[in-house]
Amino acid sequence: MITKINVTPIIDVALVLVIILLVTAPLLSVADLPVDLPQARSREAEDERNVSITLSTAGAIAIDEDIVSADELGPALQARLAKSGNEGVLVVVRADAGAPYSAVHHLLEVARAAGATRLAIATRQRTEAKP
Amino acid sequence: MRRTRVRHEEGIFEPNMTPLIDVSLVLVVILMVATPLAFQSSIAVQRAAQAARKAAIVADTERIEITIVSQETVLVNKNQIPRSSLAALLKPLLDASPSKVVVVRCADGVTHGSFVSVLDDAKACGASQIAVVGG
Repeated sequence: MITKINVTPIIDVALVLVIILLVTAPLLSVADLPVDLPQARSREAEDERNVSITLSTAGAIAIDEDIVSADELGPALQARLAKSGNEGVLVVVRADAGAPYSAVHHLLEVARAAGATRLAIATRQRTEAKP
Repeated sequence: MRRTRVRHEEGIFEPNMTPLIDVSLVLVVILMVATPLAFQSSIAVQRAAQAARKAAIVADTERIEITIVSQETVLVNKNQIPRSSLAALLKPLLDASPSKVVVVRCADGVTHGSFVSVLDDAKACGASQIAVVGG
């Protein structure tokens, strides 16, 4: 007769979940907006803590996971960059491939005005199978 | 004594697969969630003013200026060329340039996708620094 519940599988799964959450938490700090990132072959400035500005397909703007209006973007970004530990942080612009360049240009200008010193444009890694 | 030995031989014959499958399924789900995010990378661009100042110091012949006029046409050092031949033209220019600085201008009507493909081509051809004018 089994008199005790076997807790080993539960602990197994729970520990794996904890590890996965720890690993993916930094990756998931982007807003849940649909963005079709442009494809590119070159890879750089990755795996680094950054502040991301997302410009979605529908034109909505977000800083990391917070959705902001176009007017709030500058002050909100300035506040984010002024936080301790964010000195000289990389600011990544995640814009939709179909967005007009003027919109991206505007985001870059706002980021620069808010004090961003290092800027990057987010891309999706192009795999050789799908040129 | 004999009875104990017989009972000992009746041990576990098959490994318990349940924990293994549990953990594997959790890993599969996590990979499915994390994969789109893991494939994101980025291209570093310099601030316009800072880059322009630095680029101005570099002799004109060493600096490569790309102006994206439309989806199909670009200007490289003020020479108009079709977009498709940009990579072929840029490679020898970058090889000859000691600073490998590329300054990119872009017309407002061009899509972000086309703009990034030019940056990507410049990077792939060996540009060390990319400066975006106005950005």
